[in-house]
Amino acid sequence: MTDAKRSKSAKLSEPEAIEKAKQGDAEAFDFLYHLHKRRVYSLCLRMTGNTASAEDLTQEAFLQLFRKIGTFRGESAFSTWLHRMAVNVVLMQLRKKNLPVVPIEETTEGEEEGTIRKELGAPDERLAGSIDRLQLQRAVDELPPGYRTIFVLHDVEGYEHNEIATMVGCSIGNSKSQLHKARIKLRDLLRVNRAEKAGKRR
Amino acid sequence: MNCLQFENALSDYLEGARSSEQQAHVNSCSACSGLLADLTLISAEAVSLRELDDPAPKVWSALEAQLRREGLIRSAARPLLPDFFRRWRTAWLVPVAAALAIAAGIKLYHPAKIGDTQPVAKVSVPKSSRAPAVSAEDRDILKTVASRPPAQAVAYRNDLDQANAFIRDAQEAVRNDPNDIYSQQMLMNAYEQKQMVYRLALDQSNDGQ
Repeated sequence: MTDAKRSKSAKLSEPEAIEKAKQGDAEAFDFLYHLHKRRVYSLCLRMTGNTASAEDLTQEAFLQLFRKIGTFRGESAFSTWLHRMAVNVVLMQLRKKNLPVVPIEETTEGEEEGTIRKELGAPDERLAGSIDRLQLQRAVDELPPGYRTIFVLHDVEGYEHNEIATMVGCSIGNSKSQLHKARIKLRDLLRVNRAEKAGKRR
Repeated sequence: MNCLQFENALSDYLEGARSSEQQAHVNSCSACSGLLADLTLISAEAVSLRELDDPAPKVWSALEAQLRREGLIRSAARPLLPDFFRRWRTAWLVPVAAALAIAAGIKLYHPAKIGDTQPVAKVSVPKSSRAPAVSAEDRDILKTVASRPPAQAVAYRNDLDQANAFIRDAQEAVRNDPNDIYSQQMLMNAYEQKQMVYRLALDQSNDGQ
């Protein structure tokens, strides 16, 4: 669709576009896709850390959505429905590839103590109240897949632990503890990144 | 409360379940208050990643093609080819259609004619941002059409440049996604277009001799 046509269809409201898409209207599909593509693609990219996979999964998520759009009755927000579908598509893909959806428990005493010890030994290496968004994105990409899934679902997408537990098939407690470990890991990655940058400047 | 006990309960603390004991520890321990500040910051900044990236346009192209194949899009069909191909097609339709009509019934291309050493007129070609045609076959074709009236020769040269540019675009699309049937079809169409230009040039050469 050309920009001019898209601008015309931008006058559509989302509910109107949904009804038109149910009738097979091309502009309505185009409108709905472009309205939600960033959120869905970003979700897929954060969870997989791979552009090609994220593109395939984005396409698959929208395809599933449009195949089922005739059954959408508006009980929940359209975006909620779509995002949930996208999460399911990604989780299914991760399972197919045998990537851990929930990380293996790492609850040894030594590891738990490690964070604090490092902290006590390095009080000057705090993130100092600011994080570059690009650095955070890179650090999230570096997280092990299991940690990444929980972190993206909770902190990026805003799902509650009980929802995450249902989606990924773990306990609420597990979701909470893995989220905590993911944040700690991210903090370490960001601090290392910051220290490396500071070293280069010297 | 010591640091280890605080960290073990930090997850609940961040969720809002805060005891006075924890609060007292945070106030007195710079390491734990730093840890708390950092994790709060990470959590807050995470939302900024929610709509950070745009998918490539090819995602929608592939999705739209699939929706049409499955009959989910039922409104007036858009031409099967993507926008950039239609851009080429508009430039091509008139000469190519004419060429096909003229070519019908005329003898087929004879390779020996290509290398004929006819006087070669200097052809003035408008500068293009795209790379010039340089293959040996293209050079032969240009030599063949160089004896035509200058305007016609220039038109052939432009047609050839456009055909080559279209082939490069289609090749790039196939390189980006070798399994995409849509891109493969575009490449086949691009080669067919170039074939038509060759045929047009050579048939008219043969016809005139």
